[in-house]
Amino acid sequence: MHKVLIANRGEIAVRIIRACREMQLSPVAVYSECDRNALHVRLADEAYLIGPSAPRESYLRIDTLIDVAKRCGADAVHPGYGFLAENEDFAAACRDAGLTFIGPTPEAVALMGSKTAAREVAVKAGVPVVPGTPDPLGADIGDAEMLAIAEGIGYPLLVKAVAGGGGKGMRTVTGASDLLSAVRAARSEAGTAFGDPAVFLERRITHARHIEVQLLADQHGTVLPFVERECSIQRRHQKVVEETPSLAVTPELRQRITSAAAAVARAAGYTNAGTIEFLLDRDGKFYFLEMNTRLQVEHPVTEMVTGVDLVRWQLRIASGERLTLDPQKVLTPNGHAIECRIYAEDPDNNFLPSPGRIQNLRVPSGPGIRDDSGATAGLDVPIFYDPMISKLIAWAEDRPAAVARMKRALGEYVVTGIKTTVPFFTWLLDQAAFQTSAFHTTYLDELLKERNGRPFVEPDASDETLAAVAGALQLALAPRAAGATTTLAAGASASAAASAGRWKARARSEGLR
Amino acid sequence: MQYDIEVNGQRRQLTVTGRDGRFIVRLGEEEWSVDASHVAGHTLSLLIGNGEGLVVSREIPVATDPVSGQHLFGIGPVPVRVGLNVRRRFGRTDDAADGGSGPQRIVAPMPGKVVRIVGAVGDAVVHRQPVVVIEAMKMENELRASRDGTITEVLVQEGQSVEAGALLAIITPS
Repeated sequence: MHKVLIANRGEIAVRIIRACREMQLSPVAVYSECDRNALHVRLADEAYLIGPSAPRESYLRIDTLIDVAKRCGADAVHPGYGFLAENEDFAAACRDAGLTFIGPTPEAVALMGSKTAAREVAVKAGVPVVPGTPDPLGADIGDAEMLAIAEGIGYPLLVKAVAGGGGKGMRTVTGASDLLSAVRAARSEAGTAFGDPAVFLERRITHARHIEVQLLADQHGTVLPFVERECSIQRRHQKVVEETPSLAVTPELRQRITSAAAAVARAAGYTNAGTIEFLLDRDGKFYFLEMNTRLQVEHPVTEMVTGVDLVRWQLRIASGERLTLDPQKVLTPNGHAIECRIYAEDPDNNFLPSPGRIQNLRVPSGPGIRDDSGATAGLDVPIFYDPMISKLIAWAEDRPAAVARMKRALGEYVVTGIKTTVPFFTWLLDQAAFQTSAFHTTYLDELLKERNGRPFVEPDASDETLAAVAGALQLALAPRAAGATTTLAAGASASAAASAGRWKARARSEGLR
Repeated sequence: MQYDIEVNGQRRQLTVTGRDGRFIVRLGEEEWSVDASHVAGHTLSLLIGNGEGLVVSREIPVATDPVSGQHLFGIGPVPVRVGLNVRRRFGRTDDAADGGSGPQRIVAPMPGKVVRIVGAVGDAVVHRQPVVVIEAMKMENELRASRDGTITEVLVQEGQSVEAGALLAIITPS
């Protein structure tokens, strides 16, 4: 393996470029029209335009990506997460073109991509699944039959799309009267979002935690589970904070849940990096939920407490190397790590997307802080993709210290021009239930509903006084910048003057020689 | 020198004396001595003395709002909206929900795609009625009339992509 095409964008493309560099592999970027100036394009050795900004016309074009990979002489393709990462046709197209797909086989992607087939794999591996229908509901199933099946599972229950994820094609049903309309709605949503209207029913486990197990599996039969991740802080089924280890998992439970995860991966013939997701109920019983056949957004927290670089191992496994990591070491967390997903969203306006140009950006750093980002000042956050701009990760020797460190880092975060979820996280980290880890997957939605849109940071009078003082001084320092739009010009001319000054100084010193 | 500064819609008058980065700022009965400097163009660093030996350091990133042209001062995690020399530049905002009598200019608050235009030139609209719907990041945002009136201009078409601050429609109040 010499040259790796990265079929993705944003922070994850940057993350993969970094791993390639450290392994003396040449990273190749692809980009859509609006991503011309993106950081991943600037950091790569080579970069190729793959089409217009809409994902369908660029990052989701299998034919274009394969064509670019072949033309530039890449021998491997990393799909990142999202886009084509869990698309078996893409994995197969890479294999057919003689390219190493950095991930599992197309067969494993297809098997675990179907939620009902994946449940069957788990059952065969002796791992408990949430009670539900073993197969998708037939398209021609009668109303009476459907009601009888639901009665057998018990309410509340979930209607879930067989394909896809992220809360799409999913409905909660609390009683028989809502069932038929919920199935109709979920089918139509799944059909539109994933091209497959099939749905199935599953009991809804209330007050459950989302616990997941990271795995690495090589091509020689070794499957290695890592210490669990706790991802129960979710907003509308989307994770917003992840951490490891989970305060709800004892060493004994860790032993059982990670062994169960490894058993499922073995039964699926799985290779490379993957994650098995579980629900953990209030009695400490866990249930297989689904498998993600790719690198996860939240992989850095695992890296922070185990010291293992998961992306480098993905590349090593794909080139045929054997896993040589100590199984006990990767199950024993060193300290605690937390990740906050920083989104270009306005938390005080119902988390409405806030695209636009980043005018000013200074990211936190210092002990135990990692910022995985594709954003820089001067970049536009495009409207076409997921609005996550960065992942902020804090590591410390224990959870209270990691929370304190994350709060310190959020306070250092400076970003202007767009709104971000930084104020929301500052508030969340102060909540009593967060600090004691007494939460479950619907905790955040319930808390936000209770707040009813109240702003996360209420401005106080002293802030306004300071703003007035700062405003007056802004004018006093740059009297010509009296208007609205001239501040930037003033800034630009100031830096131009500064750089002119440096040039003059240089000329002077050279003149003296 | 006197400055009119509008903070979160409220106007204040401040007096600033001094130069070379060292200033005395007065607001009503209060007074501060401030060492102020521009860092990298878009950031203000203020060392604020209270006159009793205490000097507070505050760093304030300054951005411009592409829609209103007003400044956004980063004080705490939420930016504070600040209008400078308001008497001259921001005498009256057209889209104020009350009082103003000029036409309402409906502008795009963010870059996006126009998905719907509700009504055509000459149509009457009522207060809070959606006029243009734009989509950004898969979310639809309704831009509404701030008072009763008539649509007098529509400057975009459905399906068109627009930049932040783009003028979309004009409503003349009745």
